[in-house]
Amino acid sequence: MLVEMSEVTRRFGGTVAVDGLTLALPEGEVVGLLGTNGAGKSTTLKLLAGLLYPDAGEGRLDGAPPRRARGAIAFLPERGQMYEWLDVKGAAGLFGTLYPDFRPERFHELLGQLEVPSRSLAQMSKGQRARFLLAATLARKARLYLLDEPLGGVDLITRDRILAALVSEWREDATYVLSTHEVAEAEGIFDRAVFMKEGRVVLSASAEELRERGQSVAQAFREVLA
Amino acid sequence: MWHIEPEKGPIYAQIAAEVKRMLARGELRPGEKLPSARALAEEARVNPNTVVHAYAELEREGITETRRGLGTFVREDVDVEAIRRRELEAAARGYLRAVLALGLGPDAAAKVLSEVSVDAG
Repeated sequence: MLVEMSEVTRRFGGTVAVDGLTLALPEGEVVGLLGTNGAGKSTTLKLLAGLLYPDAGEGRLDGAPPRRARGAIAFLPERGQMYEWLDVKGAAGLFGTLYPDFRPERFHELLGQLEVPSRSLAQMSKGQRARFLLAATLARKARLYLLDEPLGGVDLITRDRILAALVSEWREDATYVLSTHEVAEAEGIFDRAVFMKEGRVVLSASAEELRERGQSVAQAFREVLA
Repeated sequence: MWHIEPEKGPIYAQIAAEVKRMLARGELRPGEKLPSARALAEEARVNPNTVVHAYAELEREGITETRRGLGTFVREDVDVEAIRRRELEAAARGYLRAVLALGLGPDAAAKVLSEVSVDAG
């Protein structure tokens, strides 16, 4: 297993955001992290990214704690903050300095594929910014990609482009975890669906096995989480 | 072309079925190369593992073969007539189900089918 979380709990004040969560994800899988608002998906991704520490339990990437494996983790936060003056050239320089695994050629190819214009972030629409940041994240050659709502708040055509970019970037020596509310649109790219409710995993199943049993991931979502 | 409906069963089976339909319609011929798993996955917005599974299933059924380093090809000896016949039977069963649901029988079905065929020229 590339990613393992065992009995991980994380609280914020009196709120338990993640509650004894256990999860094991093999290499080469695209994992949909699914749940209603407040289910603990973003907190789980930040714990996996090593940006939050668990109050109890532990997470591991290739056997190491996430905070020591950060160099191998590419994380796209839901509302990514980025310097407004940043443009394509500036970003390539910045990410190249921050991340040794950043591939500038790939970044440019992805920007082309995702049709991101060459201007600064300040002059971009919401959808263009989302694609810009996604391109920067996927341009890294990481072992673990964590994408928090990469399809959130973008139009249908953009969503379609993002899904195609994800499929074209897929490598069998990496694991991809993405949270999304667009279950029906995205389910074709999942190997696995992990359903979260109240900080816990209520079901982790192969997407094809769910469909074999006559249920799409979207239908399972309604049944499991309603 | 690759229209996937997740509520209609596993995606690998839908892809394998579509390849067979393409053979039956003559859109794909014996000896022709299928797109790479990655290219098909990208086009259909599905996981590449799923396409690999679909191709394995087609190979198991004797429809395709993998040539090392070259890709997946439709076998030269594939029985297109048999595949076309199965597609036709499946379509006929679908039509018959709709007719039976209307409270009519196979005779009415055959009669209307020939009338509609005449209309269609």
